[in-house]
Amino acid sequence: MMEILVTGAIMGTFYAMLALGLSLIFGILKVVNFAHGEFFMIGAYTYAILTRTFGVTSFLAVLPAALMGIAAGLIVERLLMRPLYQRYMEWATLRDEYAVIVTFGLSLFLINLANQVFGPYQISGAGLVPLRERMQVGGVTLSTHRVLASILGASILLAAYLLIKYTYWGKAVQAVAQNRFGAAIAGIDSTRVSLIVFGISGGLAAVAGALLSPIFPAEPFAGAFPAVKSFVVVVLGGMGSLPGSIIGAYLLGILEQVGAVYVSYTYRDTFAFLVLILTLLLRPQGILGERVREV
Amino acid sequence: MRADWRVFNARDIGMVLRISFGAWRRQWLDLALTFGMLILAAILPLGIPSIYWQGVLTVTLVYALASTGWNILGGFTGQFSLAPATFLMLGMYTSALLVHYRGWPPVAGILATLPVTSVIGMVLGLLCLRLRGPYLALTTVAFSEITRNLIRFSYNFTRGDLGLSVPTLYGMEGNRLYYYYTIYLLNIAVILAVHLLMSSRVGLYLRSIRDDEVAAAGRGVNTVLWKTMAFTISSSICGLAGGYYVHFIGLASPEMGLLLQAGFIISMAVIGGMGTLGGPLAGAMLLYPLSEYVRRFGIQYMVIFSFLMILMIRFWKAGIYGTILNIMDRWVTSSGSAPALGSKYL
Repeated sequence: MMEILVTGAIMGTFYAMLALGLSLIFGILKVVNFAHGEFFMIGAYTYAILTRTFGVTSFLAVLPAALMGIAAGLIVERLLMRPLYQRYMEWATLRDEYAVIVTFGLSLFLINLANQVFGPYQISGAGLVPLRERMQVGGVTLSTHRVLASILGASILLAAYLLIKYTYWGKAVQAVAQNRFGAAIAGIDSTRVSLIVFGISGGLAAVAGALLSPIFPAEPFAGAFPAVKSFVVVVLGGMGSLPGSIIGAYLLGILEQVGAVYVSYTYRDTFAFLVLILTLLLRPQGILGERVREV
Repeated sequence: MRADWRVFNARDIGMVLRISFGAWRRQWLDLALTFGMLILAAILPLGIPSIYWQGVLTVTLVYALASTGWNILGGFTGQFSLAPATFLMLGMYTSALLVHYRGWPPVAGILATLPVTSVIGMVLGLLCLRLRGPYLALTTVAFSEITRNLIRFSYNFTRGDLGLSVPTLYGMEGNRLYYYYTIYLLNIAVILAVHLLMSSRVGLYLRSIRDDEVAAAGRGVNTVLWKTMAFTISSSICGLAGGYYVHFIGLASPEMGLLLQAGFIISMAVIGGMGTLGGPLAGAMLLYPLSEYVRRFGIQYMVIFSFLMILMIRFWKAGIYGTILNIMDRWVTSSGSAPALGSKYL
């Protein structure tokens, strides 16, 4: 049982890194970024290629991966997301469709681009420490890489969370999420806020991809499942709620392990979808979310 | 209290007439243009002796059918489902399993896809009733992944990733043109049905749900019923396309239910023109042969098409067919100012 909890929590950390970014984006733009998994894939590819082909020390390679993710986030925001909030009155009825098509199309584009450039082969990154090493945590034997990676991931997650909670620009992000119009009156530059949000979420997803790439190798479809899991987490925790998405991530990580051990290993990836559909049907606002009232 | 309480003054009546006439004219123009394309499609395979390209054209029309089905939901009703490929796959497996285990003739299998996929579509529609926008898209993604995994992992019954091979409709030596004209007739029937549906009262209901669901409900449109109906009709058309497709290629495989395929089907509708009768057909006739063509140069076709899809939705929402339709619409009217009902995608 202890083993299930620990492995579940380790996966939960990575889900939380993805879900936090997704939740931030949903918070300010009220759209779901279907291309979120491809930020993850970009991080995984950068890290795997740097460590395998160029022999960069693995701890150092996390940084360029994060930078690539941030850059990808900024580019996506600048090129595709801007019409969602500039001139948004004209968009009132079509913006949901626009957001879904654009991010879904972007996801397909990046997956197939990776397939075109790198081919359908798997490139697994080098571990932070040699992958064979094991260590004891609370009476459970685990791979040292997983433990180190999740500690690193959790600290980055914490840093990002504190950044949003306490710094000036973090508070600006919260303000825009609460009321875009009000924030604009108070003199908050919503363009910069949205750039910050996309940078943070791209960076977090890319670091998660980099840290997981020794376990789940970089390949064109690497981002698909983590992304879908993080959608589930965000819905489970409550759309736009940051603590909710972190709690939801750990909950889903553990739930999946329980399902894989006690119910069926083959269908381990299907539980997440079941959780998603049940949440949407029974408690659409999620664990911590507020019920949105529409006019 | 509004000062202007007389709702029907002469100017308003004129406006209403012009709007409804504009919509009516646009619909008939749409039908005429679509039939122009269908006539082109009728003579196209006769000019192409290569069996390979005749096969490509047949698959093109299968995709056109599926894309037309998706267009009812995504283009006309505004319910952005990402599951069209899943219904295609479900149609394939419905027919394949019936033929394989029950020994039904392929024709009966194809016809059986209609009730089966429409019931599944209705259930999905009922699940999605309260959801809109991103939530709806997420739920349909979840639905399609669950379905695909179920089919992949129940390998005792469906043979999983190996695929289930079934007899083809006209036998292995059957003339390719027979296959082509069968799906061609199915396309004509479906396009006529969609035209009748969309020019009836129901078409107005569906469009009103797309443009403003709350206002539509406020004006007495039974949004629950018509959203469910849109899901049912759309998925049964996709299922029919799948049922035919499996008896053309002779193999049902879960590959068909990938989100990639959904993206392909949706990109046809988007590039052709969402919310028009002939847009999906035009999109399919452009994209599918092109995808076969670029494949020989070792290019992933979805790189191009997803890029095009992003560009189109960003800068050119009417789509290729939609733009042609708009230009012709402006030709026909001398005033050129009457707004048409489909103007949301102009």
